[in-house]
Amino acid sequence: MSAPALPSLPSLLGTFAHLKLSLLRNGLRQSSGRKAVYITSLVLTALFAALELIGLIALRGNEHAAALTVPLAVLLALGWAFVPLFFPGGDETLDASKLVMLPLRPTPLVAALMTASLIGIGPAFTLILFVGSVIATAHGVAAAVIGVFGAALALLLCLALARAVATANARLLTSRKGREMALLSGLIIAVGLQFVNLGMAKLNTLHLARLEPLADILRWVPPGSALDAVRAAGEGSYGLAAGELALSAAVLAAVLWWWQRSLAAVMVSADASTVSPDASRKDAGRAADKGAGLAGLLPAGRTGAVMLRSLRYLSRDPKTRMAWVSALVIGLIVPAVNAAQGNGSIYFAFFATTVLGMHNYNQFGQDGSAFWMVLQTISSPRDAYAELRSRALAVALIAVPYTTLVVIVSAAITDNWRDMPMVWGLCLALVGALFATAATTSVRFPYSIPQEGAFKNVAPGQNGIAWGGMLLGALVSAALCTPLIVAAVWLHSAGATGLLWALVPAGAGYGLLIAWAGLRFAAPRVAGRLPEILAAVSKG
Amino acid sequence: MGQDVIPAVRIEGLWKRFGEQAAVAGIDLEIPAGQFIGLVGPNGAGKTTTLSMVTGLLRPDSGRVEIGGHDVWQDPAAVKARIGVLPEGLRMFERLSGRELLACTGRLRGLPGDEVDKRATQLLDVLDLAGSQHKLVIDYSTGMRKKIGLAAALLHNPEVLFLDEPFEGVDPVSAQTIRKVLERYTASGATVVFSSHVMELVESLCSWVAVLAAGRIRAHGPLAEVRGEAPTLQDAFLSLVGGRAGAEGENLDWLGGAR
Ligand SMILES: Nc1ncnc2c1ncn2[C@@H]1O[C@H](COP(=O)(O)OP(=O)(O)OP(=O)(O)O)[C@@H](O)[C@H]1O
Ligand SMILES: [Mg+2]
Repeated sequence: MSAPALPSLPSLLGTFAHLKLSLLRNGLRQSSGRKAVYITSLVLTALFAALELIGLIALRGNEHAAALTVPLAVLLALGWAFVPLFFPGGDETLDASKLVMLPLRPTPLVAALMTASLIGIGPAFTLILFVGSVIATAHGVAAAVIGVFGAALALLLCLALARAVATANARLLTSRKGREMALLSGLIIAVGLQFVNLGMAKLNTLHLARLEPLADILRWVPPGSALDAVRAAGEGSYGLAAGELALSAAVLAAVLWWWQRSLAAVMVSADASTVSPDASRKDAGRAADKGAGLAGLLPAGRTGAVMLRSLRYLSRDPKTRMAWVSALVIGLIVPAVNAAQGNGSIYFAFFATTVLGMHNYNQFGQDGSAFWMVLQTISSPRDAYAELRSRALAVALIAVPYTTLVVIVSAAITDNWRDMPMVWGLCLALVGALFATAATTSVRFPYSIPQEGAFKNVAPGQNGIAWGGMLLGALVSAALCTPLIVAAVWLHSAGATGLLWALVPAGAGYGLLIAWAGLRFAAPRVAGRLPEILAAVSKG
Repeated sequence: MGQDVIPAVRIEGLWKRFGEQAAVAGIDLEIPAGQFIGLVGPNGAGKTTTLSMVTGLLRPDSGRVEIGGHDVWQDPAAVKARIGVLPEGLRMFERLSGRELLACTGRLRGLPGDEVDKRATQLLDVLDLAGSQHKLVIDYSTGMRKKIGLAAALLHNPEVLFLDEPFEGVDPVSAQTIRKVLERYTASGATVVFSSHVMELVESLCSWVAVLAAGRIRAHGPLAEVRGEAPTLQDAFLSLVGGRAGAEGENLDWLGGAR
């Protein structure tokens, strides 16, 4: 037999573009609710993009326009690199494990995957911002020509970064280093968020000139350099413009190379994330003993069994572990970094509590298709209540001490011991309220967490449900705490600071009460909706 | 005669460890071309791991694999163009319809578009999937997924076809169809390697078998040789991998007892 043909590059690119379009279309085909969510987000994004575009065009002629467009480009690139790791979203063409059987060499594969990632709302939105940036800063024909290349390079760099970071992370997470990497990712996102924070604060002043020092640094950081090239060409510094474009191109090439390497490695390695490398039989035995010891401390029966299972998942399932570690790290880092910048406030403790409390928002989704085993054991609202309560208890085992820790650390950083008891009490009430709402969102808005793909946290097409549930739940939780907030404000304004300590037991009691009521409210609904929940969580 | 000399698959010193445990502990095997090959072994024997390493899906710790004289791990793309695979986990683009999946796979394998569509129509017809060709794969049943996976693996007329448990979840009528398709395909000189625990199936289908247990080859060769004196392959298999007669039972006395 003669050597079989490998597909030619143009046909390969065409096929991938076609594949992406089919996947988008079929994702919509499955349900009309999904279609509505998709169209809404399309309209909103288009509106937002149009506003941004108008704003950028209005900047044309402003001598400091480049001081905005350069940091904007870097910000967009950072967003592309890290946001997809932590927020819902699923792109099936990202999943290279589905392509391993095909005779594709690494370089054409990377080109084809890039093509597929060019299609979608996100890339279109980003492109519009870059085009707007070019319009704002391009003066003269040469600058316009450079602008075309600059915008294209910047967009490609954003997309390549997104895929390279996701692939590298997947590779690390399925390896022995998973745990450490989870920590690192949490840190990176937290620091990234702080940059966004910083940028926003600066932008609000509306004095673009004040951004110049930032832009001076970022013009050497692609894709910032690609957009600064447009300004440079407009001012006649063609050498500088060419250099900046070349720098961006070189970084793009490096990112693509890195991505290709990680991709090649990911595609042929087994998921070893559950193999403990140095766990000899002896160690495994000890781990089992440890579990037995813990089991001895937990209550008997369903409560203890469910708690033990939840805690074991926490330490064994890379996905759950990752989510927890990032939440814990972000909760501590955000207050600390803000304090370091002089925006410190003890009230950031609410943020940490909320991030952690939201972990239970899709508690059945964490079971995935194994939820049927839970389903088999629930035959009445009573069973459902016990199940919910045990899950909440397992999380509380971590959430309550952690909340206390964050409150104390925040108070120490900001040296605001006066408000500490009040914040502590409110945080405890908030934990309770989050547990209460978590029970209901888990019933009403369950969604699947795909097992494959380390960072896909929502099955394709369920994004709307996931986001809606979280947003609604957070708002309701805050509202549920109103009585206590009112009491706190009243005590505060009445000057009865000595009584503020009373808010700690009050908050704890209120939290317990509201969590109990929330679980009671949700339990019959869980019992009544078991098959629907199973269907929703096993789509991964 | 060329096909008798070059083995379809040559495996040398293949190893794979997961943590402490060796899933595949040094396999050497030459699989003859143009035959129906059965790979049998108890659960956890390492069949899936071996097939994954042979087909370029999982990197071995050490060892060499050649298919039709080409080293799999030197140039995976060239080898993948010659083989078809139906892997165990069966990862596919679930949000494509059956027909779209075949169209996409064929084009990604470099076949001309109209040829892909022609072959896809015939395969869908033969495998009795024509009625659900516009359904999304995610809505397929287990057996339908096996069949669409098989169609995708056959689409480019590979020299060697590797199938991991191809008959699991497939109804008897479809199983008969698949057998016919595969028999015709091997008659043309192609090789089919498939793993299974259903001994009757292996016995009736395969002309050559390899028995795997605990990551090693226990026996291999033409069916009659492996079966040896034993009346059926099932008996030969049980004596090779050590049946555990009598081991069950005494500890389960509550099962079926008073409730
Ligand atoms: N990703 C993995 N991580 C850890 N161990 C694994 C992994 N994949 C396979 N193993 C182990 O390797 C051994 C061989 O597994 P393999 O899947 O190859 O068996 P098999 O012969 O296909 O079994 P079955 O008949 O049940 O499909 C098993 O002991 C299994 O536990
Ligand atoms: Mg197997």
